Amino acid sequence: MENLLYVWAGLEFNFSTLPQQLVNGLITGAIYALIALGYTMVYGVLRLINFAHGEVFMLGGYVALFVSWGFGFSPEALQKNPDAQSSALILVIMILVAMAACALIGAIIEYFAYRPMRNQSRIAALITAIGVSLFLQYAGQIFLPNSPPPSIAQQVNPYQENLKFDLISAPKETRDAYTAAKTESDNLKQQFETALNGRSQFDDTLTDAEKALGTQAQEAQNKVSALEGEIAQKSVGVTITVGKLIMLVTVIVLMLILRFLVMATPAGRAMRAVSHDFESASLMGINVNKVITFTFMLGSALAGAGAMMLVTFEGTAIHPFFGLQLGVKAFVAAVLGGIGNIPGAVLGGFLMGLAETLVVWAGYSNYKDAVAFVILIVVLLLKPGGILGSSKVEKV
Amino acid sequence: MGKFWTVRIASVVAALAGCFIFQTVATNLGNDYYLRLFLLAGLYVTLSVSLNLINGITGQFSIGHAAFYMIGAYTAGILTRAYYEQQPLLPELWLVIMMLAGGLFAALAGLLVGLPSLRLKGDYLAIVTLGFGEIIRIVATNQQSVGGSYGFSFGPKVVAPWMVCLLAIITIAICRNLLKSAHGLPFLAVREDEIAASAMGVNVTKTKVAAFVLGSALAGAAGAILALNEGYLNPDIFKMDVSFLILTMVVLGGTGSITGSALAAIFLFLTIEIPRNIQTADGQKVQITLASLLMAGLAIAIAISLLRKIKDHFHGPPNQRLIRNLGVIGGSIAGAIVLSMILNATTVMGDKTFEFDKLRMVILSIMLLVVMLLRPQGVLAHHEFSWDFVKRLFRKDHDDKAEVAS
Repeated sequence: MENLLYVWAGLEFNFSTLPQQLVNGLITGAIYALIALGYTMVYGVLRLINFAHGEVFMLGGYVALFVSWGFGFSPEALQKNPDAQSSALILVIMILVAMAACALIGAIIEYFAYRPMRNQSRIAALITAIGVSLFLQYAGQIFLPNSPPPSIAQQVNPYQENLKFDLISAPKETRDAYTAAKTESDNLKQQFETALNGRSQFDDTLTDAEKALGTQAQEAQNKVSALEGEIAQKSVGVTITVGKLIMLVTVIVLMLILRFLVMATPAGRAMRAVSHDFESASLMGINVNKVITFTFMLGSALAGAGAMMLVTFEGTAIHPFFGLQLGVKAFVAAVLGGIGNIPGAVLGGFLMGLAETLVVWAGYSNYKDAVAFVILIVVLLLKPGGILGSSKVEKV
Repeated sequence: MGKFWTVRIASVVAALAGCFIFQTVATNLGNDYYLRLFLLAGLYVTLSVSLNLINGITGQFSIGHAAFYMIGAYTAGILTRAYYEQQPLLPELWLVIMMLAGGLFAALAGLLVGLPSLRLKGDYLAIVTLGFGEIIRIVATNQQSVGGSYGFSFGPKVVAPWMVCLLAIITIAICRNLLKSAHGLPFLAVREDEIAASAMGVNVTKTKVAAFVLGSALAGAAGAILALNEGYLNPDIFKMDVSFLILTMVVLGGTGSITGSALAAIFLFLTIEIPRNIQTADGQKVQITLASLLMAGLAIAIAISLLRKIKDHFHGPPNQRLIRNLGVIGGSIAGAIVLSMILNATTVMGDKTFEFDKLRMVILSIMLLVVMLLRPQGVLAHHEFSWDFVKRLFRKDHDDKAEVAS
């Protein structure tokens, strides 16, 4: 609708595309939230920014890619057999393998790099984390396929049809006009085709009457297209592929599972205890090493799931530096929600996704990547503990 | 004239002599490429020592130093393009003005970033500086007035090697004098214990912000020299890698040690740059086989675990410790070479090879990890170069080997 387009200070705010952008934001935010959970849990137990988490995410994407290749979706195999069919089972196997591999990678990183640093200063541990992150990126650049950045074949994702939801429909007269025009156009088209009777549209043997019929049919078709455009302009709706919907649901299910693990199992209780007070927890007989490994595995598995879904349902190309920016943004999301706070990470992730798409919507798509850090600085100024976190007073 | 003035004048003369030698060496290198490397190494000394002021001396954790380097460079570039077309001033004078301007803008940016994040405890500065570096780069990439991602060029170039040396000396002098004077005590106090420092009346936030702004300003001045030396800038020169490289220099040299930062800057810069140009006799790039690469990784892993073990269990005299450590390292290297030669001869691993210059960032990251795992305080830790140390080295009766080896 025209009255949904506002122009302010040289910016065009088109409110009819807002719902679509909000849905896009939710989907991006879901991935951020999954990664942010890994950051926030590790920070909760170890007070360590796990810079390598973004690289675990990147490796998860590669694992999903390799699994899909194993099922016959590699570029070479697809050339031989282009009709390879994918199924839900393959997707489930991909996500499970990616999660398991990432959990293993997370545990290995923790054991070999972070555990020796546990009694060192926090800066030393942070630098180790940066070192691991750099190592994985540049070693990945040598060993992993990256030029051009590979992406998972379209065929792997069987859920590509669009779902369309209308929030505000176009006015009734437009819709009626469209239906009428559509019927007329179909009618004319059919008449023309009968008249052609198998001949080409540009055949010389066409009579003038037949040619006129053809032109009429073409005009009716144009009218239908114009009305279609008008309806699209006047209605406000949301289009989403089934795959992305599945992705959103999976993310929410994973978060519920995580909540169950953390709140209702002995391991989760131990994790919360360590997060609350590292020293006392170990004095109470909690095996701190086990808890930390568990935390790393949990966070990394979530990152693996996120990576698999991102590369499969969004079709993003993977390269070794792919985790860096996503990881930093997810960390900002974790800080935004309150670092160390699990619901905070989810909230922060979704807010971050929404903020980014809103910037795109306002016409600043070039600055999409910068908004995260602007938000970070504002949050640190106004509420340093994050939205759900609390700033603690340090006691001596 | 007392001792005070003798030392001061001698220092200034030594600094000027250093600049003169630097200039002479630079102009006699003969090759533009080597000249550029020489100057960049000098700039990295400034960058590394100025980051050391923030990370080592004040104990904060900034990982986006390239952002301030970039601000200084872009300031100089934009101002030169706007006002120095007709060359109204001496080139060297203009360079000094640009260094001041670049330093000023970088300091302002440092204030903007430092104030919100340094009020807080914890690792917020790390993530804010990292983010700030990205913002600045994204903004520059999207600003068509500075050429976007293609960058922009401006003229004329001002190549003044002695200025690079002078800036490095000034940076080192500032840090050294801070450490030796009462003005530097708050910085050290904040590093050691923020709560205790504030209990003793140190304004913790002010001290941290002061260190951060000073460090940023010095990086900005270095950026101005870079800009005028190159005559061309683009955002890709200041990628996150640069920040990490500077950080690695500080960490490797020993957080808190000025000498360490300066030496590590030169060493690491050359480690990174030399592999780009190593060629075999017939002008090909050096290829490394997969077997050699894996064996090198294995040797590093074994050496690290052995060294960590004996570090915990043996406490012999330092020279024996040194010999033993070198023995472990040498043994691992020798073993790796022998094994990789055997593997290469049998072609078990196939004939996959890698270009050596692609490995340089991997080498950098492994170096970072090795230093952290074996000596988290850095190679020189808190030790500084001093004349007493040199005197002890040349004394006849070597009764204090302990100090030398530790």
